Amino acid sequence: MNSIIGIAVKDIKTFFRERGTIFWTIAFPVLIMLLFTAIFGRDIPFNANIGIVDYDHDQYGISTGIVTGLNSTGFFTVKNFTDKTEALKELNTSSVRAVITIPQNFTFNLTMGIPAQTLIAVDETNPDVARLVRDGIKTFFSEYYKTLYYNQTGMNYTEPISVSEEQTVAHEPIGYKENIVPGMLTYPLLFSSMVVATGAIVFEREKGTLKKIRASPIRPINVLFGKTLAALFQTAISILIMSVLAATLLAPKLNWNIPLLVPILFLGSMNGIALGLIISCIGRAPQEASNAATTMGIVLQFFTGMYFPIEYLPTYLQQFGRIIPMTYAAQALRDIMIRNATLEDLLLPIATLTFTAVILYAVGVLLYRRWVEK
Amino acid sequence: MIIDVEGLVKHYGQVKAVDGVSFGVEEGEIFGLLGPNGAGKTTLMEILCGLRRFDEGKVTIQGFDLIKNSYKVRSLIGFCPQETLLYDLLSVRENLSFSASLYSLSRKKFKERVEFSAKVLGVGEFLDRKVQQLSGGMKRRANLAASIIHDPPIVILDEPTVGFDPTIKREFWELIKNLKSDGKTVLLSTHDMYEADEICDKVAIMERGKIAALDKPRTLKETIGGEPAIHVRVKDLQAKKALAILKEYGGILRDDEIQISSKNPWETMTEVTNKLASEDVLAEKIEVVEPTLEDVFMKLSGRKLTEVEQ
Repeated sequence: MNSIIGIAVKDIKTFFRERGTIFWTIAFPVLIMLLFTAIFGRDIPFNANIGIVDYDHDQYGISTGIVTGLNSTGFFTVKNFTDKTEALKELNTSSVRAVITIPQNFTFNLTMGIPAQTLIAVDETNPDVARLVRDGIKTFFSEYYKTLYYNQTGMNYTEPISVSEEQTVAHEPIGYKENIVPGMLTYPLLFSSMVVATGAIVFEREKGTLKKIRASPIRPINVLFGKTLAALFQTAISILIMSVLAATLLAPKLNWNIPLLVPILFLGSMNGIALGLIISCIGRAPQEASNAATTMGIVLQFFTGMYFPIEYLPTYLQQFGRIIPMTYAAQALRDIMIRNATLEDLLLPIATLTFTAVILYAVGVLLYRRWVEK
Repeated sequence: MIIDVEGLVKHYGQVKAVDGVSFGVEEGEIFGLLGPNGAGKTTLMEILCGLRRFDEGKVTIQGFDLIKNSYKVRSLIGFCPQETLLYDLLSVRENLSFSASLYSLSRKKFKERVEFSAKVLGVGEFLDRKVQQLSGGMKRRANLAASIIHDPPIVILDEPTVGFDPTIKREFWELIKNLKSDGKTVLLSTHDMYEADEICDKVAIMERGKIAALDKPRTLKETIGGEPAIHVRVKDLQAKKALAILKEYGGILRDDEIQISSKNPWETMTEVTNKLASEDVLAEKIEVVEPTLEDVFMKLSGRKLTEVEQ
């Protein structure tokens, strides 16, 4: 019994002497709670961008009122388009999740008692978002007309504006598993790569073998690249296993375009590994670095849209999500596998992921020099 | 000078770990840094290997400035620290291969160096065994082999035999002498005076970050260590009588022996032996003891090196 207590006491004492471990032990629950509070602790746990094309241009301000009304729900952020083709282009890249078209004579029909029809096109690449957007728009129009009629006549009117859906996206609506598989493939980019790389430097330092490396004429960038290769290998194994399991167990109807998937997975991994190496350079003890990587991974996954749509986040957190490289990797994987994206469509995510990887490696080298070689 | 150090200063916060150290090491010699733990030996060696920055001074290795040509300098040095820097799950050969890769050794050169390690350092018998399966002595030999796999002209060894039993220690001394025979310059740190005396061509005695004395061990002993002494031990019952007899030679009782300092120890020993015999005092032991580096350290610092260690 004494030995058990002795071990426990020693470990607890060690814990209290590693400031970094204490920090991350506290930071983890704090960050998670703050994040959950920000995401779920509000009345409307959703905000999606939608586009509106107004061909009516009425004099009574009814169609303008629709835009104002949609914005005021807090459920949507509305972007106005003058050209429907432009709006559908953005729908195709998921920049907007739905496009509402208000046709000519919409107001006229409405005021003359003729059924007034609006058209909506919904981005189906994420079934959860598609359902919420569709239901949200339909409910809005129903409630909007009721309010409009009551304000003008003082009477209740129950016949709503009809909303018809149009099929504009080339692919078929997808199921939940088709949506989640690209998200699952983002997991090793964020976790496996980062966790593997996190151990790279800090464990060498702990074991003392970093001295051998540092006493040799190898340059810091080459140390980091050597570590990157090993981490890439391990990440590739994770990706391969996950892909094979996903393809066999879930059998999703997805486009497994290997020549396009490989560069995205490679660049995503490089970003994750670079982030891990940065943590590894700063970490003073393996436990501290491991805690930091786990906390960062768990926190970042909320922002990348890998598991649940980024629209569930408040708008300011959505903005934060858009500066995380992994968000672009997750989106690019969905674009390839769901939307049959071409290389041209992927130029922006490829450029973004390359740019962020270069920046992160530059920071890594700097930290290696400042923290490891000091 | 293959290693030239001038006015080196290194602080850790307020503490001056290396305090204006200057020395030079000739090509092909074994140079020892002798001193207690905390004297600044390891810091000094790590600076020379490019592992630590320094605050003041200048270091030149084979004519290359350590700061300006740090990568070049690193390729000239094989550093073997106190701890075993090997990967337990890899075999000795795999560890050597990894070390060789750090210095971009060609396959041919690597093969040659493995053969050298097997022959000169004796790692051949366990080349393909995992490090975790090796004994302490084997690990240290493999560690040394990995440190010099790139055939550097300078080998820096930090406390190379600490924790070894006397037999393995002697084996290791032979390995170090073999390195010298192979044309290497060896800089080693130790707190073992006997080791420094046995294998070093030159010794710098370090105390509190400074070099207190630097020369050949024999010269240090002769100039600083004092005169040789005759140590006499007699039976307890005759101790008082013996001390009284040997007072005229300046004998003093230290521990259980009477010690007499003398410039001509062998002559004095003959006289003392005869004198004791004429007075019917039977000496159990009588011997001439030359001054050691321990005496040198004691003269310089006022303390015994072993006391400082404790």
